[in-house]
Amino acid sequence: MTLLDFARGPALQAALMIFALGVVWRAVGAVLIQRTTDFSQPRRGTAERVAGGLRTTWSRFFVSEALEKRIHFQHIAGALWHLGFFIVLLLFVPHILFFESLLGFGWPGLPNPVILVVAAITLATLLAVLIRRMTNPVSRIISTTDDYISWIVTALPLVTGIMAGAHLGLRYETMLALHLLSVALLLVWFPFGKLMHLFLIWPARYNVGALFARRGVRI
Amino acid sequence: MSMNTEAFAQFREGVNQLPEMAPPPAQMTDQQRVQAFKKTIVESIKAHQAVGLETCVHCGMCAQACHYFVATGNAKYTPIRKLAPLRRVYRRELSPMRWLVRLVTRDITAKQLEDWQELIYDSCTECGRCSLVCPTGVHIQDMIVMSREALANAGLAAAELRMMSTEQGEKGTMFGMGKDTLVQTIEQFRQKGLEIPVDQKGSEVLVVSSVIDMFLFQDTLEGTIRIMDAIGRPWTYSTCGYEGANFGYMAGFQEYRKAASMRVIDAAIDLGVKTVIVPECGHAYPALRWDGAAVYGKPLPFEVLAISEFIAREIKAGNLRVKPLAEGKTVTFHDPCKLGRMGGVFEEPREALDALGVKISEPDVNREQSYCCGGGAGNFLIKRAAPLRAQVWDKKRQQFDRTGAEAVVTSCDSCRINFSVGAQDTRWDKPIESLAAMVGANLAE
Repeated sequence: MTLLDFARGPALQAALMIFALGVVWRAVGAVLIQRTTDFSQPRRGTAERVAGGLRTTWSRFFVSEALEKRIHFQHIAGALWHLGFFIVLLLFVPHILFFESLLGFGWPGLPNPVILVVAAITLATLLAVLIRRMTNPVSRIISTTDDYISWIVTALPLVTGIMAGAHLGLRYETMLALHLLSVALLLVWFPFGKLMHLFLIWPARYNVGALFARRGVRI
Repeated sequence: MSMNTEAFAQFREGVNQLPEMAPPPAQMTDQQRVQAFKKTIVESIKAHQAVGLETCVHCGMCAQACHYFVATGNAKYTPIRKLAPLRRVYRRELSPMRWLVRLVTRDITAKQLEDWQELIYDSCTECGRCSLVCPTGVHIQDMIVMSREALANAGLAAAELRMMSTEQGEKGTMFGMGKDTLVQTIEQFRQKGLEIPVDQKGSEVLVVSSVIDMFLFQDTLEGTIRIMDAIGRPWTYSTCGYEGANFGYMAGFQEYRKAASMRVIDAAIDLGVKTVIVPECGHAYPALRWDGAAVYGKPLPFEVLAISEFIAREIKAGNLRVKPLAEGKTVTFHDPCKLGRMGGVFEEPREALDALGVKISEPDVNREQSYCCGGGAGNFLIKRAAPLRAQVWDKKRQQFDRTGAEAVVTSCDSCRINFSVGAQDTRWDKPIESLAAMVGANLAE
């Protein structure tokens, strides 16, 4: 078995298994923690509370006007790297072919040079985010090992993907194997670290929006 | 109409002595403190809080929403950091990944809890502005409340709040004032010709007061009485459930929190009222409006309204008529956090001010986004937090100055005290007024 066979076979399969089980375990475990009934008279009815939750789920993509001037960097850098990452993940033709083999259907992709540029911008943004985390007093004081591990496992697929796509470094098959192994690493780490926010951010935003809406506060 | 300046000087002097007057903290070993803190967190965390804690990406945006960070620039005041002990307990004891977390993290220590006392009590007013901006939806404010409870159980509540809670919980007084003070104050007002019902069964409305109003803000008290009198609906004070302030709720002492709320709830039920009016006391509103039913264990059999809500409702219904103030007067309104962002009372005080014919010049951030006065959640009593409050006042003062208003109006005693202290110390000369006092002083004949 070659390194590439191992990477695209057992390594990826095991990683996907850990990813799926871990995500379900952590999400369900958090959601199943005790709940209590709030007996206070709500200021708004159920429909308005649901609307409040949904509105907050959407509105937290944006920063309120009153605070915008103070948090430009986090907001723009955060949006940019997430967007770039998902463009590369979902619109790179070889990735689409991979998803097609799993799902049975595909979708149109972007030309490879475009993807390479987007990947480079995404990586550069990630670097800027890392530098900020290490130098900004607020970011530094609240950072944990999880932040750095999550950064590494997110950046590695981009680095190895760019190198494989641009035929840099080792020979293509080896780079591709390393790329797939880095993806496996990302999948394995995913349920254990902060990357889980991809799934939990939705109920968290909804909850806080609905709680405030219950009191008649639009956030 | 304004506060009693002599009483204000006495109040400031009295507040400075609170740390020395506080009963000694509970004698506990370090291990007992840690266990008490952990037990509270483990027993209290709810699903929505767990999901929030699992979701945080450590972005630090909440810092930019916190008045203590914005005023000082000190990263230690980052709101999510204030939750560090609580998060550690959650992750090690409750999180679905706790088996792994325990392998790579250390347990909290008593030293850490002692260090965090300053962050949980002195530099957080539970204003909720951090919960407003968190992009991942962590309700930080909600968990600061829980952290206070856990610290109180660990014998680490701020001395001043321990003092106030214990006095209220065990003697039923605050600053040595209680039922007798209420009776004396009512008698003083009766001598002015005001009719004040006390303990009248079958009344429609129970008006709750606060010793702060009796001692410092008699203009608010008089305004409230005049408003109730003008509306003409059967109302009463209660000599059993007269105090809206709930220091147990603020400090995190559950026993005292429940006792204070139940005094008002029992009185309201005994008198058979339909409505309980909470005074201009910021935390008194959430303590009864949102937390009262939790203490009672079922829905309250009466509605709870802030005095500003009641005023606006009665003006709208045509039951309360006010006369316009002198033409051209411009005021700015400060939204108290516990009534506004954490309570949903935004438009009612503005409707009352509109009825008075004043022009409202809003601060550049207002309503949901309003900055805290810097002294809420009992912080205004904590001596060592005074320099921090002064820095926040500086920010608020600049905000008020930008409005060009002639006066600041608010509907919370803590905010009014805090602004008055700031104004006195910086020789700022704009009046800081109470909404209820303003309305009560300008009733139509």
